Amino acid sequence: MAELEGEVVAEIRRILGEELEWKGAVEPSHDLLKDLQLDSLGLTVLAVGLENRFRVKLSEEDAAGVTTVADLARLVSTRVSATPEVPR
Amino acid sequence: MHNAPSPASSPVIRAVGRALPPHYATQEQLIRAFRELWAKKHFNLERLEDLHRAVNVSGRFLSLPIDEYRPLVSFQQRNDAWIRVAVELGEQVVRQALEKAGLTARDVDHIFFVTVTGLAVPSIDARLANRLGFREDLRRTPIFGLGCVAGAAGVARAVDYLRAYPRHTALVLAVELCSLTLQREDLSIPNIIASGLFGDGAACVVLQGAEAGTQGPRVVDSRAVFYPDTERVMGWDIVDTGFKIVLSAKVPQLVREQVRGNVDGFLGAHGLTRGELRHWVAHTGGPKVLQAFEESLELGKETLARSWASLGEVGNLSSASVLFVLGETLESQEPRPGDWGLMMAMGPGFCAELVLLRW
Repeated sequence: MAELEGEVVAEIRRILGEELEWKGAVEPSHDLLKDLQLDSLGLTVLAVGLENRFRVKLSEEDAAGVTTVADLARLVSTRVSATPEVPR
Repeated sequence: MHNAPSPASSPVIRAVGRALPPHYATQEQLIRAFRELWAKKHFNLERLEDLHRAVNVSGRFLSLPIDEYRPLVSFQQRNDAWIRVAVELGEQVVRQALEKAGLTARDVDHIFFVTVTGLAVPSIDARLANRLGFREDLRRTPIFGLGCVAGAAGVARAVDYLRAYPRHTALVLAVELCSLTLQREDLSIPNIIASGLFGDGAACVVLQGAEAGTQGPRVVDSRAVFYPDTERVMGWDIVDTGFKIVLSAKVPQLVREQVRGNVDGFLGAHGLTRGELRHWVAHTGGPKVLQAFEESLELGKETLARSWASLGEVGNLSSASVLFVLGETLESQEPRPGDWGLMMAMGPGFCAELVLLRW
């Protein structure tokens, strides 16, 4: 699980850098809105990127408990573990 | 105190022509057409469908039948189609506007042509001169790159010209064929949102100087506003396949933070307040932009009804959008002599243009 969460954090870093033109650091403790300054479009780009990479679906209800990069990584890795087969 | 320029010395809006291409597709038809493309890259297609539905657009009028887009893979192919349709739609809308104003092509002294969706040299206005029979001394100003603000900014620049030549007649022609800019291989979220929001259309405004002896709503003044260091908020990246959209969610944020101060400052220079305006002609940027206008300017629920309706019926027509709303306002029975109105639009730069109207 921890390894997968690390993979998700790496993917979040990639999406922010490559697709959202974010120049700063991305740490697990960072708040998505306050530290990484993601707006509605940025959050959508991030969610879609993670859905594509990890073949999971994230819903608005899922987003309720997510504040930091670590929260998001945990959510995605939980979803991946709950999916019987993950075609990559 | 109402500063100069005064309404009596201000140019007049005589008429606004509006035209849409004939190939209508509902939003659901478009979503079905896009799904296969999205599936090449994306896993959660329902999320993308929701994005297309969230823009409050029920359908678009396309330049070509929907099946004819797929073979257009290169920039040249799309731009050739753009030139062909832009000339046809441009001719149609100029003829309509001149007829509404009771004028002919030979009465026109200056044409301002605005677009951001295709390139042509000679420009579309020159091609129309051959078709419509403008005079040989017609002055032409083709303007590329102002994007969505160009409808309002085009009117403002034509009015600047008509203050120098108060007996002259000017046209502002906006032709935007957004569907022909679509980068099918760009499966980024901004492009998917843009493909749900933008539509095709053309509008033409006929204006005359204060000494042309005609009546109608007057453009009393205009104000351009530039927001420093916002180049990546909106625009095109020019790539081998054409125009790749740059679109950030900062557009509604900028409206929320800036427009109220811009509008109040502009109106204040004329001794006016927001409460004294009866007509608001707002660019149909998208639902979030219209909501941001309503909230920041404290507008009543029905104030932007024409903008909401236009967005829903035809989508965001870039520079032509605000001129569609202007035309509908002009032709409604609502405006009364003495009424004040404000036309406003925003576009790449990022920037805004405010245009003060008086009936």
